[in-house]
Amino acid sequence: MSLDFSVLLLFQDALVLGLWTTIKLTLICVVLGSSLGFLVGLARTAPSAVVRGIASVYVEFFRGTPVLIQLFWIFFCLPLILGVELSNLASGVIALTLYMGAITSETFRASLKSVGREQMDACIALGLPRHVQVTSVILPQAVLRAVPTLLSNCVSLFKESALVSAVGMADLMFVGQNISNNTARPVEVLTVVALIYFAIAFPLTRAVTLVEGRILKKLAI
Amino acid sequence: MNYTFDFNAVSLRPLIEGLVVTLELTVAANLIGVVLGFPLALLLMSRIVVIRWPATLFVEFFRCTPAIVQIVWFFYCVPMLFNVFLGSMTMGILALGLNLMAFNAEAYRAAIQAVPREQIDAGIALGLNPLQRVVYIVLPNALRASVPVLLTNGIVIFQQSALVAIVAVQDLMYQAKTLATETYRPIETFTIAALIYFAVSFPVAQVVGWLERRRQVLTS
Amino acid sequence: MTSASAPLVSIRALHKSYGPHIQVLKGLDIEMKPGERVVVIGPSGGGKSTLLRVVMGLEKIDSGSVTFGGRPYISSAGAGAKTVIDTEVRRSIGMVFQHYTLFPHLSVVQNLVLAPCKVRGEKKASAVRRAEALLERFGLAAKANAYPAQLSGGQKQRVAIARALMLDPKLMLFDEVTSALDPELVAEVEQVILQLAGQDMPMMIVTHDMWFAKNIASRVIFCAGGVVVEDGPPEQVLGAPREERTREFIDRVFHIKQ
Repeated sequence: MSLDFSVLLLFQDALVLGLWTTIKLTLICVVLGSSLGFLVGLARTAPSAVVRGIASVYVEFFRGTPVLIQLFWIFFCLPLILGVELSNLASGVIALTLYMGAITSETFRASLKSVGREQMDACIALGLPRHVQVTSVILPQAVLRAVPTLLSNCVSLFKESALVSAVGMADLMFVGQNISNNTARPVEVLTVVALIYFAIAFPLTRAVTLVEGRILKKLAI
Repeated sequence: MNYTFDFNAVSLRPLIEGLVVTLELTVAANLIGVVLGFPLALLLMSRIVVIRWPATLFVEFFRCTPAIVQIVWFFYCVPMLFNVFLGSMTMGILALGLNLMAFNAEAYRAAIQAVPREQIDAGIALGLNPLQRVVYIVLPNALRASVPVLLTNGIVIFQQSALVAIVAVQDLMYQAKTLATETYRPIETFTIAALIYFAVSFPVAQVVGWLERRRQVLTS
Repeated sequence: MTSASAPLVSIRALHKSYGPHIQVLKGLDIEMKPGERVVVIGPSGGGKSTLLRVVMGLEKIDSGSVTFGGRPYISSAGAGAKTVIDTEVRRSIGMVFQHYTLFPHLSVVQNLVLAPCKVRGEKKASAVRRAEALLERFGLAAKANAYPAQLSGGQKQRVAIARALMLDPKLMLFDEVTSALDPELVAEVEQVILQLAGQDMPMMIVTHDMWFAKNIASRVIFCAGGVVVEDGPPEQVLGAPREERTREFIDRVFHIKQ
């Protein structure tokens, strides 16, 4: 067979629009999801067993089921339960925020745990009150340590966002599939779509490695 | 809300049939991933550029594109490019297996490179030859270290296998979608399907956690 | 406060265990006078470090009490009872640890001024001035804006000492502060501690370095099996121990020289 990539030029605008939707969705859910994840991460270390329990069930459930089924559930079931229509964008944002919240909460939890007991000893020996221990010693270190994993979480979210195409949201993947069906040129179209995702995700994963090296070097004691 | 639940309206039978397909996909993909991931990891670490580069490109491609794009691409493009059409189940297994192979290769590579330099130095000091050092020191260390990651990747592919429903493989996700439409009972159907997925992944995740804790205790 | 001979620290019947089976301190009684420099020696697992950690208020105790400058400081009514620690008193004690425990995300100067600013509400500018003066004194002026990861072990430990001094402690605790250091870096840290000793800073030191112990101690306590076995001036405990167990330990430590 012969390949003809020029067909894509006709659909340039549609692809850009789809990519913009993907990026917008990712950015919104990065902000909402990691804020949620931070709170849930804290909740998982809370003194109250009830709070810890609820947080664990949420995290384990979202990590233990396919994102696709979460998305379907929110898309088809949540409107029935709430009795309101949800736009495609709203369901996508809710589903991916909950997904991001679950994975980043683990990131925050691990980084909070990684601040060693010796640091706590030093805080006590210096007579730092509890709120100063948290705001000046534990949180800054925990957040720094979390940065590389959070960046990988963002890459995962960016990739998972392609799932919203399955519920009809016009993201890059959805637009790509549509063009592919209309032109009957799946090889060219889908390859280019894959390359666009790659062109964004790959530099980000390299950045993770770079940032990780720098932070580990800085926090080495 | 004015939705009345009726879990009886959902027959479990198709879901169980779907689960069997999902498990078949998972096991087959894991066989490919665990077995072929290892030689791929060796290629990744090759000193010869023309071997290392294509292997790296392969791995990075799978790691840096959405799984759904990979699967759709595979189902539409492989038949056109190579003029073969395999059964949809085979296609599903291959697509998931290749994906897992890339992730597992990376896990093996990380584990091999994490074997401490001193261990290898000790091997040299004891007079082991390079092959013996690999066989008796590097591999046992690395394979043990990679087990939790391989298991985690295995569960991830179990969950990702839901994506083949989009290309009409009749797995658990596909059956749930069909059933939800037929019965007009999406809440019950999707909830049960989600619980089935959860019931499989959660215990495995617990085993991974246990292995990791044990490893930390043993190595500290 | 009280007369010069009144104890600075008074430890009474101190019991401490980790879990139900591991008893580390089995009824310790120690009185430390102001101006004393007590070096605690003894075999590993004998409870030396635990003793220091208790005095710093880092550990729960099973029973016993500690007073500081005549004030009740730490007490516990018995096993299972809550350990009561007066945090006000705790602030007048400083401690330096084996593994430096600098805050890795803060520069040297930030490490020094954190506690004075946050605990005592000192103005940043004045704390920074004091910090710079201390660093100058310890030969670290050039490192004020470096991060801990950029320092050698000896430099880190000197920063840790300076950090503790920023709060003008009335007692300094040193827990094996040279054990993690390369041999050639030990002297620079010990010099700083000797310098403090010259200014009559009361201190309690756990160390394995017998040369250092001899040079700095005004009193040596030999601790083994969770109790004080021998307690006296350095010439006695290190030179001519009265107790059999002390002699055995000293012989073993100085073995190489004989």
